[in-house]
Amino acid sequence: MSMISRRTFMMAATAMGALALAGSVAYAELPALAKKDTYKVGFAQTESNNPWRIAQTESMKAEAAKLGYQLVYTDAAGSAAKQVADVNSMIAQGVDVIFLAPREEKPLIPAVMAAKKAGIPVVLLDRNVDQSLAKAGEDYVTFIGSDFIDEGKRVAEWLAKNANGKSKIIELEGTTGSSPANDRKKGFDEAITAAGGFEIVASQTGDFARDKGRQVAEALLQAHPDADIVYAHNDEMAIGAIAAIEAAGKVPGKDILVLSIDGGKEAVQAVVDGKIAAVVECNPRFGPKAFETMARFAAGEKIEPWVINTDKFYDASNAAAELSSAY
Amino acid sequence: MTTIETSSPPAVRSSRVNAAKLLSRYGTFAAFIALLIFNLIVTPNFVSWQTLNVNLTQVATIVIVAVGMTLVIATGGIDLSVGSLMAIAGAAAPMIFMGQLLPIENMGILIILSFILPILLVMAFGWFNGFLVTRFSIQPIVATLVLFIAGRGLAQVATNGNLQVFKNPDFQFIAMGRIAGIPAQVVVMIIVAILAHCLIRYTVIGRQIIAVGGNEKAARLTGIPVRRVKTFVYVISGALAGLAGLIVVARNSASDANLVGLGMELDAIAAVAVGGSLLTGGRANILGTVLGAFVIQLVRYTLLANGVPDAAALIVKAGLIIVAVFIQQRADKA
Repeated sequence: MSMISRRTFMMAATAMGALALAGSVAYAELPALAKKDTYKVGFAQTESNNPWRIAQTESMKAEAAKLGYQLVYTDAAGSAAKQVADVNSMIAQGVDVIFLAPREEKPLIPAVMAAKKAGIPVVLLDRNVDQSLAKAGEDYVTFIGSDFIDEGKRVAEWLAKNANGKSKIIELEGTTGSSPANDRKKGFDEAITAAGGFEIVASQTGDFARDKGRQVAEALLQAHPDADIVYAHNDEMAIGAIAAIEAAGKVPGKDILVLSIDGGKEAVQAVVDGKIAAVVECNPRFGPKAFETMARFAAGEKIEPWVINTDKFYDASNAAAELSSAY
Repeated sequence: MTTIETSSPPAVRSSRVNAAKLLSRYGTFAAFIALLIFNLIVTPNFVSWQTLNVNLTQVATIVIVAVGMTLVIATGGIDLSVGSLMAIAGAAAPMIFMGQLLPIENMGILIILSFILPILLVMAFGWFNGFLVTRFSIQPIVATLVLFIAGRGLAQVATNGNLQVFKNPDFQFIAMGRIAGIPAQVVVMIIVAILAHCLIRYTVIGRQIIAVGGNEKAARLTGIPVRRVKTFVYVISGALAGLAGLIVVARNSASDANLVGLGMELDAIAAVAVGGSLLTGGRANILGTVLGAFVIQLVRYTLLANGVPDAAALIVKAGLIIVAVFIQQRADKA
């Protein structure tokens, strides 16, 4: 008897769950944003332990202050769980919009869904969430971020114009499988093949880290002494590669061109010093784009699923002038 | 007939024993030579001073940490905290010579302190490892797991997780300088390995380390201060990890608490295992450990230089460890 009743209970519970699910599916409308003079805006940052994140936060705060909006800022300190809690507390505080820099693709889905349920539109910054679980224009407004493929492409295009006869490339990839590494490789490799006359003699991962990037560069430079270009997927590896080039008795910028992406202050300084030839910035200044997108959304405009945040480009021609504004 | 039956099995066994013993004794060396020959034939531009230079400077920190690990493993313990201790020393040194911690103006004193204080600090942490192992009889793998986790956290908290970038030729001499044409960190590596070898071979404490690892109860009954010996090896392991941490940050002109020494404990343990020291203790083969580290480094270099992706290098490394441990066990059982 008890078995049956338990089974009945389970079935009932399952049915209820299915109903609840159906209910939430039926509720597939993106929350709207009323047009107001001022807003209370939430910004859930994922961490603030590096210059890029700090620049991003500064930019959001500065833009909110400029517009006279109230900004509720939280820092998840690198924990997805805390970030979910942060978003929930923003919902409780009744913010009008939530800007979220999601820590991870899947764990932040509940936060996005909770905001949606509470009728608060969410705008994702610099990282996206799992597209099979949440969609732009349905569960959240849009994703604002850099185009990593384009970053790689811009490096290749600069190289095609300024290589001065150099042609043998060592590529230091980011962490295997990460989207910046995949996209920066794709954009660069395709564009450099299209340009013609270049050869990628070696391409290995340096894990986006200075020490690993240096060690890998040391080994690759030794195995391919004819290489005269190093393309690193981020600044840290580029700076590691410079140390490796100098240890091999060559001059970065003269014997070997170093190219990088990210464009932090240290790298832009290296461009000024002539050690890095060119670097594409991965723009951390999200404030203007974020609040502009929010205004467009409030005006009832349909927002594209991906708003591209444009990146700067530094080479010898502008690095010295732009150094003070680099993050 | 009977004579054959009784005498032949032992003969077969002893020849197998010899083969296994021989393999366990010279297996690492043979692997090293085989790798060298393979590289001479296949890898482009292998024969050059720069290749030697690159490999020696890259292997130096692994050797230094692995030597300390050998001593710990010889007592039957293991030290998982070495990577985190590297991060702590690596985070502390720049804070000292950049004048953030101490109100001292004299750069010379600051530089000296930035070598001494971080190493003393991690020696204290090493002592803490030993304390947990000896006082509370916590299994070494758990006791050192405490600092494996907390140590990196400490380094991150101290630096706020920020990258510390610096340029200080005096401090960086340990990784960038040359002594009689040999890179400084390679000199440090050689000195550390020789000292440890002599410690094991010629000193009382060295013998005591082996005795404790071989049979702890018997060692205690013969009057060996087991607790003191065990604490000693963790302190030494901590100090060497700290030294390696200083070299890493000096080489990179930057200290990243999130990354310095990440995964180093595994490289060090692998070097010890490949080098032929028993992971159950009672044997310390410093030269073997050095060779083991060289083999691991050379495998990594070979695969990199020949365009094999990093992921494959990890698999090859694991395979090496399995083979090394398998050969040892065969030699021991026989």
